[in-house]
Amino acid sequence: MSDDIKRSLQRIQAPDEIEAQRRGWVLVRESFADREPLSWQRRNRRPLLVAALALLVLLAAFLSPPGRALVGSVRDAVTPDKSTPKPKPALVALPAGGSLLVNSGKGPWIVHPDGSMRLLGPWWEGAWSLNAEHVAVTRAHRLAALTPDGTIKWALSRPKLLHGARWSLEPASECCRISYLNGRQLRVVAGDGTGDAPLRDVVGPVAPAWEPSVTRRLAFSTIDGRIELVDVDTTRTVWLTAPGDPPTQLVWSDDGQRLLALGERSLRVFDANGNKLWAIGMPVGPSGAVFVRKSHRFILIRYSPATQRSDLVLFQAEDTPGEPRFLYSATGDFGTLAISQNGQWLLVGWVNADQWLFLRLTSAKVESVSNIVEQFGGSPSAPVERAFPKSVSWCCPASP
Amino acid sequence: MVGPGRQERSWIRGARAGSVSDLEALFREHWPRAHRAAYLVVQDAAAAEDIAQEAFLAAVRNLDRFDRRRPFGPWLHRIVVNRAIDWARARSLRRELAEIPGSEDFDTGDLGTFSEGVAAGLASLPPDQRAVIVLRYLLEYTPGEIAELLELPRGTVNSRLRRGLDRLEAIVDREQR
Repeated sequence: MSDDIKRSLQRIQAPDEIEAQRRGWVLVRESFADREPLSWQRRNRRPLLVAALALLVLLAAFLSPPGRALVGSVRDAVTPDKSTPKPKPALVALPAGGSLLVNSGKGPWIVHPDGSMRLLGPWWEGAWSLNAEHVAVTRAHRLAALTPDGTIKWALSRPKLLHGARWSLEPASECCRISYLNGRQLRVVAGDGTGDAPLRDVVGPVAPAWEPSVTRRLAFSTIDGRIELVDVDTTRTVWLTAPGDPPTQLVWSDDGQRLLALGERSLRVFDANGNKLWAIGMPVGPSGAVFVRKSHRFILIRYSPATQRSDLVLFQAEDTPGEPRFLYSATGDFGTLAISQNGQWLLVGWVNADQWLFLRLTSAKVESVSNIVEQFGGSPSAPVERAFPKSVSWCCPASP
Repeated sequence: MVGPGRQERSWIRGARAGSVSDLEALFREHWPRAHRAAYLVVQDAAAAEDIAQEAFLAAVRNLDRFDRRRPFGPWLHRIVVNRAIDWARARSLRRELAEIPGSEDFDTGDLGTFSEGVAAGLASLPPDQRAVIVLRYLLEYTPGEIAELLELPRGTVNSRLRRGLDRLEAIVDREQR
């Protein structure tokens, strides 16, 4: 009985847990920025004495030839990583075709292949339709469909905060659906703004994901971290997984045969029937995943709090994860991933460096662009973690 | 209570030296359980969020005085659970004074009958019994550790646990029938 109670307690979630955590972190970080820490000397009085003694010993050692060699090694170790490219100061062109939809603090932007940019307006987030003919945008209680020049085709309002809007993956906007979250309620509306109706009353906070290759089937998370696939036309459940770590991202492979449920603490990999192929624990920290185009291989961001580095690691979504392959690593947080339409380039948001990295997946080539915050309307004086664009989608079809 | 891991000590050391990423790692590690514990004790989402926030703000204020050889979790949970008990008691008192019959039901969504029974049962317990159940079964402290956290005699913790469990079992049985 007590084990049952334990399991049950661990399944009860506070409403809006992820948003509460986000709000909590903003406050804590602000308080941290304002604090006046004890002076370094006061906190380290005793270690200072020890260090002074050690310094005397080391000084004597460094005067010897082996000591000088050690100094050289240390210098090599702290010199910036030679594999990190010299960044370009501005985004002048994308390395591959297709356009980007960038969700920044100022609003969603469209970036064309020649580097020209258009702000769609003060919306909080946006998502491409399949062929980038439209963008679904949300702000507070409002959902709207825009053309890429920012013209509003239609809009609707709902009582709760709207987020996570996603277009279904059908070729023409008239035939499509848009799923979105009205607070914790999952709703679906036709691509022309008609027929808005609830699909489920209480769901997890992650943006649902339309299954590619099958018309109008939508994967979403329940509040206890189950993944449910629902036929939107009939509202019938196609399959439902066991409970798990509530996902923060749901990502389908292009052929709809694999689904990733990435949570704060774990990654689960499912096949097209909702069977779990495998799962791994995730370290605490920023994460993200994107499938390689037309493949069951995917790239995962793994952050190591111990080294404060983020790695890009390639896994396969088959019966086993395969031998993980490290693609790239850098100090700090990677915040966004998007893959080009030809599948050859990966865009990685390198938050702390205020850069975008473009990694060519077929070779070791890396290009980088700096001043991302400023280029997308952010204030250079704002903390980069807050001002850096939150997500990027590279069309077409939109990725991830 | 076991000592902190090397990683946690490193985060605390880094945060004391001003590293935002270390503070964030510490926050991400401890926020979810602290927030959920507060929610289970107070059964009010806004209050739970406030309590978890206040506990972390207290942690930030006292970071330089914190002994990093000691684990961070119990120290944080002590603040969270004590504040949550105080808040829940104050609310009970306000309700008695105002004679408001209001429901304290959790928003349980589709948790299943047993979990809904546990949620309903927990809501019916007094705050101090709720707190020991949460510390024991959500945060997985031993009764001895709970006694130390709440500064109570161990016998009191055991009796609150027993009474709370008995009552939960009775309610869950009734809900399942």
